[in-house]
Amino acid sequence: MEEKQKEIPDFSDLTCTNLMIRLKMLLKNAPPDSAVEIIVRRDQRDTIGIPFSRTGYDVKIRKIDTNLFRVRLQKRDPNEGI
Amino acid sequence: MTSHFFLLGTHITQERLSWIDESLKFFFVKLFPETLRHHTKPKENVFTFLITRDALYSLHEPETQQVWEKILLLPSVRIICDRQELDLRGISVERLKMKYTDQVIDHNSLSLNGQTSFWRDVVKIARQHEQPIPTTIGYLQLESPYMHQSSLSAVHCLAAAIEVQADIELYAYLDGVHLGHIGQNPTEYDNIGKGLEDIAELASKRDLHYQMLACSRCAAARGYSTWDDGQGIVISTCTIKPFKIRNLNEVIARFDRNHLILGENVASIQLKKKGQPETLVGSDKGHAPPVTILITRSPYGTEHAFGALSFAIACAYNGILTRVIFIEDGVNTVCGTHQLSKDARYFNLQEVIDVVAGSENLQLYVFQPSLQQRGIAKNKKMTAVLDIGVAELGQLFFNPPQGIQANHQRILFF
Repeated sequence: MEEKQKEIPDFSDLTCTNLMIRLKMLLKNAPPDSAVEIIVRRDQRDTIGIPFSRTGYDVKIRKIDTNLFRVRLQKRDPNEGI
Repeated sequence: MTSHFFLLGTHITQERLSWIDESLKFFFVKLFPETLRHHTKPKENVFTFLITRDALYSLHEPETQQVWEKILLLPSVRIICDRQELDLRGISVERLKMKYTDQVIDHNSLSLNGQTSFWRDVVKIARQHEQPIPTTIGYLQLESPYMHQSSLSAVHCLAAAIEVQADIELYAYLDGVHLGHIGQNPTEYDNIGKGLEDIAELASKRDLHYQMLACSRCAAARGYSTWDDGQGIVISTCTIKPFKIRNLNEVIARFDRNHLILGENVASIQLKKKGQPETLVGSDKGHAPPVTILITRSPYGTEHAFGALSFAIACAYNGILTRVIFIEDGVNTVCGTHQLSKDARYFNLQEVIDVVAGSENLQLYVFQPSLQQRGIAKNKKMTAVLDIGVAELGQLFFNPPQGIQANHQRILFF
């Protein structure tokens, strides 16, 4: 698990607004159709979950420690459900 | 007619006073031309300038005094000066007062302790500004104590608010978080920490609510020990008891409410339209007063520009209509192409603007006259930042935004 966490950006020390900015930067620079994964705290998970799922992302969250979560975001296919 | 006020405490440049003058002219010429044509002055003051600390120098410095004279020629504008601060600085406003006797006021009301107090006048105006009478007065503090006299103003303002039976809220942001440091012991200055503790005690005695909230990002950066115990409780061991360190989103959540928020340099513009019901205690998003953030300083040299942008993003994220205007030296944020070294830990502000552009509730503008004055141009790639001139600035200030039911707009200078 430690090996995997090294590859995933750890945003657990960021405050919520900075987390949003960093995450938006990651998403912007990610190749199309790829997913972005980050490590966050419980309160940060709450900040990300609803707003991003509301704005066209599939958000998957997995608990990896007492107060650490692995969040995976992927842009939803705009034609999905048509 | 509605009434608006500017509360200004830091040095006022000719540039700043000129764009204020131009926006007021837009207000009278475009929105209320009848007040200019018929020489029929409205019964009430439309614009009140509350001037304290270093902003008072602008009243006697020739280059700004001439702009004040132009502003005072407009109908129903008045200036209320902080008498104690005038005396402290040895500033005379007699020349302006002789010409505009009824409009330049250099004496203040008596407070409960029998002393005259500028802040008593400020909270009185703040209370008249909103009807029915507001129950809460907030104060946004960006500067540290002792280095900056504004910290004492924050204490005086909150104390005056308690005198008029208002609940109080202090929002400490950027260096403002130092107001709440434990163990302050100045020998030659009022103890700001003790002042805040006394205010909290006084509020409790009078059954008034108080909140003193500090931004957790700003606090953590400045060495205030905080941690999340997994239950979402942030605990600090180095702040005075009334002070609470909270995530910026929790601080901004207070801005959802319709109370007046004062600060070092702020303005409040009434938006009420005829026949529109008053809304004061609403906390749903449509009722949240829109926020206009003026970024007036160059990026990177101080935390102001990033702090302002971060604050704006948080406001927008919380559902508050937020307009950011890059103005004065703040226009440097959108000029040239900013490049960060790979190991830099801070943000490239142009990159931040790029990724937040198009966010719900967030609008970005640059004030063209500020660019022209500096002989610089906006980076053409920054298409999300719209160019505005004097007329658009006036519209942003005085035209109620669509879908907003709040009765005033908050303007915050960073």
